[in-house]
Amino acid sequence: MNTKWVGKRVQRIDGPEKVTGELKYMTDYHFDNMVWGKVLRSEYPHAKIKSIDIEAAKNLPGVICVLTHKDIPGFNGFGIVVPDQPVLCSDIVRCTGDAVALAAAETLEIAEQALTLIKVDYEPLEVVADAEYALTDSAPKLHPDGNLHSHVKIKNGNIEEAFEEADIIVENTFFSPRQMHAFIETEGGWGVMDEEGFLTIRCPGQYAYRDRMQIARSLAYNPERIRVISSPIGGAFGGKDEITVQIYLALLAMHTNGRPVKIHLSREESVIAGIKRHPFKVKMKTAAKKDGTLVANQVTAIGDTGAYASLGGAVIALAIEHSCGPYKIPNVDLEGFCVYTNNGIAGAFRGFGVNQVCMGIETHMDMIAEKLGMNPIELRKKNVYHQGEVSSVGHIVKSSVGTYKTLETAENCDLWKNREKYKSEVSEPWKKRGVSLATSFHGIGMGIGLPDYGAATIELLPDGKFLVGVGCEEIGGGNSTVYAQIAAEMLNCDISNIMIVQGDTQRTLDGGTVTASRSTYTGGRAVAAAAPKMTELLIQTAAEMLNLQASRIDIRPNHIAADGQIIPYKSIHKYLYDHHQSARVEGHFYLPKEKEEIKGSGGAPHHLYGYLTHVVMVEVDTLTGETDVLRVVSIPDAGKVMNPQGLEGQAEGGAVMGIGYTLFEDVLIENGYHKTRNFTDYIIPTIRETPLIETFPVEKPEQSGPFGAKGIGEVVMIPIIAAIMSAICDATGARIFHLPATPERVFNALKDLKKQKVQSAR
Amino acid sequence: MKSIQFIVNGKERTVVCPPAKTLLDVLREDLGLTASKECCGKGECGSCSVLINKEVVCSCLVLAGQAQNQVITTCEGVGLSPNLDVIQESFIAEGATQCGYCTPGIIVSAKAFLDEVDTIPSAEEIKTALGGNLCRCTGYTKIIKAVQTAASKKISEPETAR
Ligand code: FES
Ligand code: FES
Repeated sequence: MNTKWVGKRVQRIDGPEKVTGELKYMTDYHFDNMVWGKVLRSEYPHAKIKSIDIEAAKNLPGVICVLTHKDIPGFNGFGIVVPDQPVLCSDIVRCTGDAVALAAAETLEIAEQALTLIKVDYEPLEVVADAEYALTDSAPKLHPDGNLHSHVKIKNGNIEEAFEEADIIVENTFFSPRQMHAFIETEGGWGVMDEEGFLTIRCPGQYAYRDRMQIARSLAYNPERIRVISSPIGGAFGGKDEITVQIYLALLAMHTNGRPVKIHLSREESVIAGIKRHPFKVKMKTAAKKDGTLVANQVTAIGDTGAYASLGGAVIALAIEHSCGPYKIPNVDLEGFCVYTNNGIAGAFRGFGVNQVCMGIETHMDMIAEKLGMNPIELRKKNVYHQGEVSSVGHIVKSSVGTYKTLETAENCDLWKNREKYKSEVSEPWKKRGVSLATSFHGIGMGIGLPDYGAATIELLPDGKFLVGVGCEEIGGGNSTVYAQIAAEMLNCDISNIMIVQGDTQRTLDGGTVTASRSTYTGGRAVAAAAPKMTELLIQTAAEMLNLQASRIDIRPNHIAADGQIIPYKSIHKYLYDHHQSARVEGHFYLPKEKEEIKGSGGAPHHLYGYLTHVVMVEVDTLTGETDVLRVVSIPDAGKVMNPQGLEGQAEGGAVMGIGYTLFEDVLIENGYHKTRNFTDYIIPTIRETPLIETFPVEKPEQSGPFGAKGIGEVVMIPIIAAIMSAICDATGARIFHLPATPERVFNALKDLKKQKVQSAR
Repeated sequence: MKSIQFIVNGKERTVVCPPAKTLLDVLREDLGLTASKECCGKGECGSCSVLINKEVVCSCLVLAGQAQNQVITTCEGVGLSPNLDVIQESFIAEGATQCGYCTPGIIVSAKAFLDEVDTIPSAEEIKTALGGNLCRCTGYTKIIKAVQTAASKKISEPETAR
């Protein structure tokens, strides 16, 4: 298909305002009459609240209001699936991120001082610091129904028999870290209530309409009288999917006499109060035949969701759905537990549970290949499912499947083909290099049982340009540019004639979340559904204006031509306006779903998946245990690539985030208290850790997607984790099962390996 | 409260503020220059990078009083649309910005670095120059490319010709 904009390296439409700093993020606003809000967090990870005394704080000069749970007019709770997190705690605190009171004051310093004057009388309770302990009878119950938030199980075939008949079995336990999103813009925003009681909350989020619903529920307020603006966002990665400070802003705004109120969390507060990736313990047992055919997989995964559910149930469900990789294993027994503890709060994060299980199955693939003396690519090719085949969880995969193609590309890439040569080029004699690969997949959109739709508007503006409105926020991934490309393509105009508005309950329709790798696919389809209606409107109006048949009207780039006349879009707008006709059209799209849910799976399967293979080269310093990732090849199947530059951006950012996850990142919590506080002790990759990254998309078009596109935002950080783990083993012979693979862990693994060698030599 | 004079982006400015207020807060709140961001408040991330007399500093660590009589350049001073600096143009051309929250700080650091070089820098040199700026979105690959692109443009079309 010949396209002008779609599939092209179109520059980001938000580039200029971002490189100059002219773009105002919600946390950039400052007004002379603005007041500052602060949140009092709990002193203890688990305690009873006996009393809260706010008198002294209220009397501090400069304080405008101090609020507690008593000031919540509606429901005192939030949470995307189960709203079990109190807005402001009344009787119990369950983590040190829990909010107990709010203060607003003339300055930030006064607000901070006010918090110190709030007297909360606590009775500390036993802290539940471990997910497995939480499941025992002796652990205190953190919620009325106990500490098990959710349980999922998928069982197919007969694993006992399969294990008995298998030629080879590998069995291991994997531990994964509590990764922090570490978006550069911490949680924050501002809110204001006008004289008529209309409330506006400007706060970065990943679904404005749902944020509005959660605010309205707590305020017992008509949602129609609340406007939420949630875009643009200074990074989110899932960490702003849940409510962050929106409800606090709304509550405070009701008490500031119409003055805007701002909250912007310090990094320290963000570390403690913000959600994190679920740490998992995964037990996995995988069996194969001598020829490499996988026959069975058994998985038990326990995820620590911390004090509240947020999306924990969905994370564990997605983990289990993906726990066998993109392979067809006939006998499986897969079980996941999502457990409450007092370890902060975990929730959505790029990869959404799949990172934690992919490292298991892909490490096992590498071990099986090693034991069988098989090429790891051959082993994978042998076991992957193709479109129309049955996956390990037992459903027929009807949408496009690119794994095989990504493996072929991996096989032929320079790094893989010449790996022996590259491995020999070590920078120091005591350093060792390894090259390995891993593959994975990731469901696009929500699973079964959740609403999943896209909606877009296109409006002809007085100056003849088009305003495209999509609910999905610009989170940084570049969906605004993709929407503009689609609109420009279909309206046959220059991209500079397309304006975009996103994430605003007043100006965009409800189009679902910007999560689950869904916004290009879903929002893109919605724009593609709206565009022909706009074309139709332009043609019909021109026909009416010229008194001609519609068939004689021609859409040309940026104008209409008919009968030798040129009609600029401006005049079409004027005509519509003068005749009191709407210049706005809508497009809607329902994401295709599987009809039948796999019993006990909590929403599996997805209809659509994105696939990706990573090849990496690492260099391990055998004296210090330090690992450097030197090269990465990212091979995504994202369907048709809408914008190669945007896709590369995702692939590069995801790879580096995966490197951080594998090698250094972990928020340490001891007995409920955060040891990690800021970037001083939480290390994310800097530019120095950036390897050479190449991206080779395989472009297998997905017929249901806009121009054949699928999603990509999450899978870009997944297989690299296992690939690095295997590459460390390829370099040194030592396997790491506990992430992050810090120098200490790698060093100890090398030491153990030496010991084993000495013993077996005896 | 103290009255402080300095030159910001080529203009003489006076602000009256507590001398212990950070330069970052003065820029953002008193002068409305919000390109510089606060992310860690501890000198760890570089989102607040500005130039003081051509040297890159973390403005979250500088007190307003220390800025007295200094010459300060923020990202807004590097260039505003439509008059972008070549480094800003290159960031757009190479796709080196995503969420954009880190970008102004990186532009400032890159500008200071490029002002000092007259060859196309290697990836290693760029990594050293920008080692203090965190970005969580891009994976830095396109940032390295953008700095090289800017350097080659600078060399092929020197300032006066532009
Ligand atoms: S905010 Fe100044 S270095 Fe992070
Ligand atoms: S572009 Fe988002 S942090 Fe750099």
